[in-house]
This record gives sequence, C-alpha cells and structure tokens, in this order.
Amino acid sequence: MTLLGDDVRQQVVEFLKDLAGPVRLVVFTQEFECEYCAETRQLAEELGELSDQITVEVYDFQANKEKAEELGIDKIPAIAVIGKEDYGVRFYGIPSGYEFTSLLHAVRTVAAGEPELSEEGKKFLAEIDRPLHIQVFVTPTCPYCPHAVTLAHQMAIASPNVRADMVEAMEFPHLAVKYQVMGVPRTVINETVHLEGAAPEPMVLDKIREALQEAEG
Amino acid sequence: MEIGLFPRPSEVYDVVIIGGGPAGATTALYTARAGFRTLVVDKGLTAGALGMASKIVNYPGIPGPLSGAELVRRIRDQAASFGAQFTTDKVLRVDLRSEPKQVWGGRGTYQGRVVVIATGAMGRTRHIPGEERLLGRGVSYCATCDGPFFGGKEVAVVGNNDEAVEEALTLTRFAARVHLLSPTAKLAVSPELASEASDHPGMTIYNAAKVREILGEQHVEGVRFVFQGEERTLPVAGVFVYLQGNVPVIDFLQDQLPTGEGGCLLVDENFQTPIPGVFAVGDVLCRHLKQAVVAAADGVIAAMAIDRLLRGRKKLRPDWS
Repeated sequence: MTLLGDDVRQQVVEFLKDLAGPVRLVVFTQEFECEYCAETRQLAEELGELSDQITVEVYDFQANKEKAEELGIDKIPAIAVIGKEDYGVRFYGIPSGYEFTSLLHAVRTVAAGEPELSEEGKKFLAEIDRPLHIQVFVTPTCPYCPHAVTLAHQMAIASPNVRADMVEAMEFPHLAVKYQVMGVPRTVINETVHLEGAAPEPMVLDKIREALQEAEG
Repeated sequence: MEIGLFPRPSEVYDVVIIGGGPAGATTALYTARAGFRTLVVDKGLTAGALGMASKIVNYPGIPGPLSGAELVRRIRDQAASFGAQFTTDKVLRVDLRSEPKQVWGGRGTYQGRVVVIATGAMGRTRHIPGEERLLGRGVSYCATCDGPFFGGKEVAVVGNNDEAVEEALTLTRFAARVHLLSPTAKLAVSPELASEASDHPGMTIYNAAKVREILGEQHVEGVRFVFQGEERTLPVAGVFVYLQGNVPVIDFLQDQLPTGEGGCLLVDENFQTPIPGVFAVGDVLCRHLKQAVVAAADGVIAAMAIDRLLRGRKKLRPDWS
C-alpha cells in the first residue's frame, strides 16, 4: 500500500521537475517503539522515486549513533534534508497532512541552496556568528504551520549557524510539555524565545534578535 | 493518514475574489457575465457583516424584509448563474506580485490573473481579557490545528457564526465537552447547522452569553461569563475565539499593500490598489459607507476596470504616480 496516491505523485513530479541540484533525504528510524518510523521511511522512499535528483539513505537510530550525532539527530523518526551541503534542515515526526508540502518546499530550496528571503533578512542571518536553533511545533492538520516551517528552513539555509526543525507535537508529547505547546505553529528559538502563529519574516527576525541578545546578556 | 499537496494547486482563474459579500459577489456577477473565469473564496454565508444582518428593507428593488444572508445568497446565485464559482475556504496568505497571483487557503491554492480583495471590516481589535496573554496556552483560533491538544478535556468556543459552529463541531471529535458561548440569543447560522450543533451530545450551547474573562496563570483554566443574568465560570482547558469586530480584514496580506488609518485599503477611482491587477472593494476600503448597495456598486466599477485590464485596453492606468 503506497502512501502517495497517483494524483499526488503527478503533482509532486510536476513540483519537483526542475530541481536545481541533488538532494539527500537522510532518514533515521528504528524497528520498534516508534509510532510513525515505518511510514516516515516509506514516505521518503516514495518521494525518492519521483525525482532523479533525490536519493534516500536510511539509518537505524540505535545502530548508527555516530551518524545520528554527526547530523545532530536526537529523536526519531527524523529526516535530514541535505543539498550540496548540510544546511541544518530537519523534520522530526512524519511530515504528513499539510507538512508534506513543507517537505517538498525544503527539498526544492535545499536543492537550490538559495533561500527565498528578503535581502535584509539574508544579510542579517548570514552574519549570525553563533549557533541558533529554531524549532517549529506543528500538527499535520494545521494549515498555517507549513508557512512557519518553511520560513524557519529558509533561515537555516541562509546561515551556517542556524538549524531549523519541524517537530510534530503529537509524536513528541514530552517536548510539547517541555515547551508548553498548546497551539500550533509555535516557534521556539534557542529554548527561550517563542512565537505563536505563522508570523511574517520580519517578526521572526525580531525574535531571533531577541534570542541572540538574551544569549549575550 | 492523509498525505498530499496541501493546499492543492488550482487552475489559473482570470479573477480570484477573496470575500463573497455584496462587494465580492457583485464583482463576480459582472466579471463572470463578461466571460471571465471567476472564483470567489469565502469563509461562509454568515461570515460577513451583511450575512449577519437580520433584516434588510432598504436594498433598492428588494422591499424585503429579508435577512442579510438571504440577500447575499441571492447575489451569489445570480453570479453563479453566469458561471462564477464559489468555494468555502479561509484565505491565509497571498502573493500579489507573482504572475499569476497566488492566494493560499486552508483547503486550496487559488491562482488568478487578477485578485479582488472584498474581505470586509469585521476584524477585531478588542480582545477578551486574558485572551492575548494566554494565546498559545489554551487560547486558539484554529480548532483543526489545535484540537488534538485538548483530547479528553473540556473546551469553550466563543462565537455565533458558521466558522464558530463548524469549529465547535470539529472540537467534539477531541474534547470531552464543547461549551459554545454565543454572544447572541440565536446562532447566526443555517437552521440545519444550528440543529446539528444543538443535537450534538458532546456540545452545550449558551445563548446570549457575555464572556468577561479567560482565566488562568500559565495556561487556560477557565472562562468567566454572564448567562441568564448570572455570572458563571466553566473550568475549561481551551478557549477558541471566533468573535468579530469592525476593522478591515487584511491580516492575510502581510503588509503587501499600503493601508490608511485603521488598516483600511487605499484604491484609485477604478478600485485598483497600487499593485496592478489587485483590486479592493467594499468595507475593507477607507472612508467606506457601510451599506450593501454601496459595496455592490464598488464591485461593478471594479469589474468594469478588470474587464478593460484583462482585455488589454489601455484606458485603465494605475493612478499612483
């Protein structure tokens, strides 16, 4: 049984037809005790069939700890979307529902290696000189969430110091509790600063400034 | 598990109209009749100011009395008879400078050579005490997004229109009980939807409830309201707010168009905004007389200008030098 129907496959082929470069989907999974691991792997593999530019690598999270550490993967299921370099674009939990669109956007932007952000935004992000971690909590049924996820991923592509995760809140309830997620999208920057809703780029940049200042102060 | 491209991309329409009140539906009536492929994206029949109005007696040629929803329905039916299509969706975001222009909704992506903004002026500025502070901590505006966080808990929905009732019904799939607090004595929805809500075993409806405060420190713990002359407090974990106000609805534009005082949109004499091919009509405009017939007339003027623009006539020029 495939996850992607024929009509969706056609749309995906169309969406990915002019990928600017190769993309690796590095999937971390394990056989047991992971609710959506099998489906996440299957989804990545089905996506890989739809473009010559996409390759899929699958690792067992327990058996390949070094690889997981190398890519900073700390929970599963996980997909690292890697282009000609690793920009820090991650999906934790299955990118189903509305989030499948976020995955497609991530593939396309990572392939190009060029974020679709304002010139000021790109300049500001490129100048960030310390690690910055953006986590966007989502549910698959949230139409507002892909905007927040895609924006965060674009920011990761814009800066070698920024990494950005989609986190499916229902699959990681302990994180939902830890970060007090009761509504999505909720963006958490460097553990301390948070933002509700799908905010426009300038508002997210302001929050990043706030997080950087907190780190200084 | 549903996996697909959301929103699904649509074909390219000549005209995509956001908002199906008298301004939007009349624009559609004229552009569809002129032979343009026209799509109207609207939240629901009773989402707007006219849709909420209970009795109309001064619409020229229609002595009435008839409800605002009925008048809107008649204009829509007339537009549909000329080929205009209507879809129920909430617009989240737009890209007005791309070609074709992109309109992203929760259920679809709509592409148009021309976009008309007819979203009216029922946006909110005032909040319920506690609402802003507890946003994302139990206060939500999206049941489909956040419903799963309230599995087995009690929640309140504040509102009385289609959106509020639909979202309350969505929440019954998750919550132990949904308390629907309607600000009016009667829900402003179709009789079918009203009975679906009132017959639902997981829902309690409080008509003419005046919400005073959303309670809680770190997260929502309750809602305080006045019902039948008595102040009551319900212990709920979530409050979903679908109230309406009286400011222009422009949040989905994310600053792509300049606004006047209070967030109203600015247009030239053809109802075109500073972005060519983007028009705005009705109550979303500055200095707009809030009457259905005026909104409808805006739609006619805009439709004429759209006709000239799409047929490549030179007479129409952006009036923004």
